[in-house]
Amino acid sequence: MEQIITTIINGLSLGGVYALIALGYTMVYGIAKMLNFAHGDIIMVGGYTIFVFMNATGNPIIAAIFAAVVCVILGASMEKLAYKPLRGASPLAVLITAIGVSYLLQSLSQIIFGPTPKTVIVADLGVTKIGNVTISNSSVLTLILTVIIMIALTLFIKMSKTGRAMLAVSEDRDAAKIMGVNVNGIITITFVIGAFLAAVASLFYLLKYPSISNTMGSMPGIKAFTAAVIGGIGSIPGAMLGGLLLGVIECIFNSFSEIAPYTDAIEFGILIVLLLIRPNGILGKKKREKV
Amino acid sequence: MTFGDITKKLKSVKWSHYIAYIVIIVFTVICMLSGNLKRTDIYLLEKIGISIILAVSLNFIVGFLGELSLGHAGFMCIGAYLGGKVSSMLVGSMGNGILTLIISVIVGGIFAALAGFVIGLPALRLKGDYLAIVTLAFGQIALIIFQNSNYETFGGAFGLDTPRYDYNSLYIIIFVFAIITIAAFQNVIRSKHGRAITAIRDNEIAAKATGVPVTQYKLFTFVMAAFFAGVAGVLYSYTQSKVQCTHFDYNYSIEILVMVVLGGMGSLNGSIAAAALITFLNEKLATVLTGNLAVLQNIFYSLVLILIVIYSNAPAFKNIREKYNFKKFKSLIMRKRDPGYISDDEGSWDRIPTKIKMDELLSVDISVQSDKDGSTSDSTGGDENE
Amino acid sequence: MKKFTKIISLMITVAVIVLAVVSCGGQNTSYTSKNTTFVIGLSGPLTGGASQYGIAVENGAKMAVDEINAAGGLFGYNFSLISYDDQHDSSRVATGYASMLEKGMQVSLGCVTSLPCAEFKTLSKADNVFFITPSASNDEIPSESNGYQMCFADGNQGKAAALYVNANYAGQTIGVLYTSGDNYSEGIYNQFKDNIDPSITLVSASFVDGATDFSSQINTLKNCEFVFMPIYYTPASQFMLQAKDVSNNMKVFYGCDGLDGIDTIEGFDINTIPQEVSYLSHFNSAATEGIAGEFVTKYTAKYGTAPSQFAAGAYDCVYAIYNAMKAIGSDKISVTMSASELCDLLKAQFDGSFTFSGATGSNMKWVRSTTNYGYVDKAATKYIVKEAD
Repeated sequence: MEQIITTIINGLSLGGVYALIALGYTMVYGIAKMLNFAHGDIIMVGGYTIFVFMNATGNPIIAAIFAAVVCVILGASMEKLAYKPLRGASPLAVLITAIGVSYLLQSLSQIIFGPTPKTVIVADLGVTKIGNVTISNSSVLTLILTVIIMIALTLFIKMSKTGRAMLAVSEDRDAAKIMGVNVNGIITITFVIGAFLAAVASLFYLLKYPSISNTMGSMPGIKAFTAAVIGGIGSIPGAMLGGLLLGVIECIFNSFSEIAPYTDAIEFGILIVLLLIRPNGILGKKKREKV
Repeated sequence: MTFGDITKKLKSVKWSHYIAYIVIIVFTVICMLSGNLKRTDIYLLEKIGISIILAVSLNFIVGFLGELSLGHAGFMCIGAYLGGKVSSMLVGSMGNGILTLIISVIVGGIFAALAGFVIGLPALRLKGDYLAIVTLAFGQIALIIFQNSNYETFGGAFGLDTPRYDYNSLYIIIFVFAIITIAAFQNVIRSKHGRAITAIRDNEIAAKATGVPVTQYKLFTFVMAAFFAGVAGVLYSYTQSKVQCTHFDYNYSIEILVMVVLGGMGSLNGSIAAAALITFLNEKLATVLTGNLAVLQNIFYSLVLILIVIYSNAPAFKNIREKYNFKKFKSLIMRKRDPGYISDDEGSWDRIPTKIKMDELLSVDISVQSDKDGSTSDSTGGDENE
Repeated sequence: MKKFTKIISLMITVAVIVLAVVSCGGQNTSYTSKNTTFVIGLSGPLTGGASQYGIAVENGAKMAVDEINAAGGLFGYNFSLISYDDQHDSSRVATGYASMLEKGMQVSLGCVTSLPCAEFKTLSKADNVFFITPSASNDEIPSESNGYQMCFADGNQGKAAALYVNANYAGQTIGVLYTSGDNYSEGIYNQFKDNIDPSITLVSASFVDGATDFSSQINTLKNCEFVFMPIYYTPASQFMLQAKDVSNNMKVFYGCDGLDGIDTIEGFDINTIPQEVSYLSHFNSAATEGIAGEFVTKYTAKYGTAPSQFAAGAYDCVYAIYNAMKAIGSDKISVTMSASELCDLLKAQFDGSFTFSGATGSNMKWVRSTTNYGYVDKAATKYIVKEAD
């Protein structure tokens, strides 16, 4: 029993990280209508920024602030330089460019920081004990923060003028333009928010898994995308739900030594099957295709 | 048949369609005849041949169907493992000859094609980003399964033992397969099926409305591309004494994509040239770039992806693209205007040479005769739109 | 017609140019005839994710070669080391091997990592090239008569670890953490499992290469006092850091030579780990005495970091080749002799009564039989990186 509870708690705390990343994914996908392959790599850049400033100052807060600034600048410039010229081009072109950007970020960080993984201890937040079960405080914090961000994002999109403009852009870009919405500006803002979320995710990722390498973002990135699809891409509560669900699934499979090697394969299998039978996920809206 | 007939026939052949074959055949024959190739060069030729098969088959999906496959290395992996398994089983009874190779190539190709069929099924419902993710997930699944396979069946983490073919003749065999691959794709692309596939790329709904069986063609594209990726995998297994799944990772799929993008999506000859170039660079740069600088190669790849795609797709560069492009360059050299080339705005009204004097036309009083038919407003509306 | 001739002539020109570029040199059966030094070849990952191993091996080998040359070389001839970057990718090995042969390689250190070395093994077998690998530890690597290992084979490490556990933890429950889908980790784990005493209960947990989350594995293993971890040090450090946040009864982390270097990870302080961390290996980077101690001092002075077992193994490999060639005698050895001739002499030497003492052990022997390939026979020692708190 205790094993089961621990497994589920582990799953939730892993899922919290996935949910945090998935929020950024789903946000950008929902509004800019593009799969930002480089989202995971922004997390990696955030991680290295934290690493550099932790070594320089030793203060996690300063490091986190710098990580947010660097990620936001990176996200905005990425959008301006690589994606904006392709506005109106075929989705295939945008997708290949996004892969190129992801590959570029990985290569650049390898040339700067070398290929060997580095360890950075951001802060030791300790653990909380409930009976025989221990929960690390960073996991609890991750979960709380993910919920807060989820609510804040939902409110922002529903209530604020910019948020509603975002909704309009996601519904129909041309119609939004006609109604006087600055589409390019809105998409840039979306990317900035996405990059900021990635910076937050990198901080909480490192709190939990204190290892940085140039490919650290790719696997969690794909997993978070899976989570976003499970929850229904474009849906903010869906990303949260999908992330938690995926985390629990992963921890359950990992706790069986015979199945553990296949956990990733099972998760990807779930992704494929889900896309086949319910491409809109649990909470996603069905969209009709237009000419 | 007289000599004149032959030259007449030769003249009627569209030689530009066969450049790829001729270059490869001439090149291979010269290599064979020279007889003093270094071993390193032979290995390089093997790799180039395999890359050509991979790039051409991926181009069929990316350039002609217009979908992105990030699991091409996964198809290759399946071909390499299944074909390699067959060849390692047959080698005892049939010897390590050309017959064993052909059988295993066919078996490996068929298994990869089956995988292509399975991946093609989601393609019926999905496209774009979702499909790309599905192919990526498929590639990872294939890798994980072979990596954790039983030691007796597929060698597990250490890889599957496969027979190695005599390197003095393997590169010729690989080039023969490369030519077969190019011929197969070229024939499909220049047939009505190829035009149907490009129609799906350009506008799926319009293609469907015209009566193109979209689902069948999508499946067919994936199956065919996967088959040849599988063939490349089996040939790869013949260049190695062990097939190890770590070779077929995501980065390898990206590398094939770089070849396709560099050569130009939708251009087979471009894919062939880019495959040869990238493989050559891979080999040579590894000895030039050392330490952390080795990553420069990856940076080059990523810049190729970003810059070429932006240049050839961005709406802002449309004018530049039309001014400086390969087709125009070619027609400049040939001193002949390619009639197949139509620039996008050539059909617009201000370009059409007209003898009609606009002032005269405008001064004429046009009166609508509504008593003749009731649908005049429709017809004039139609005229305006044209 | 004019166009057609133009195209054809263009193509032939291109083909000829490419061919001229590609095939300058030509086949030469005796690559070594122009050698002025004894050429040692080495293939390893000098760039990319596994480069720390390849670079360590290259450094260690280079140091040994420099020392030998400074001392006058062998029979008046110097040694030279050529290395090829295989990027831990077995598809690159064939090219690297052939290019080293073309450069006059007479004897080789094989590959640094096991996966590429499997390829190297069959290639070198066909040409009869002697190799002794410092670090490719898979059991199958020295299966051909021309291959030898300086490191312990994975299976032998598993057996040695099982013997240690049988002696110290009989009747208890012990945990094992291994990487699934990794030939090194699985190779050790399988032999360990087969040789463990029936009175011991095994609790095993596995993870895949590149995993970051170890919570499930910690949950499985948390009641085992002794955890055997035949894994590499990077995931091991992550496991240990995450285990700190969970209340557990784990007291000892015991690994194999993959843990060597765990105290060198940037940003990871081994002293924050409450458990004992120890491993079974042939080399102690903190050694101060004997050949190992000397090696550590010299290496640290030259490269600024303490050597890993990879560097030590490579250093020993070069010296083992040197000593064996010296023992063969100047009448049989010549600087232009082919790789195959030298291979036959070295094989006879290594399979015979040859013993070698170096930084990674003393009185090493290579006893070849049908079950015991070119495995090294030497003592393994348990090194404690950090005592329990």
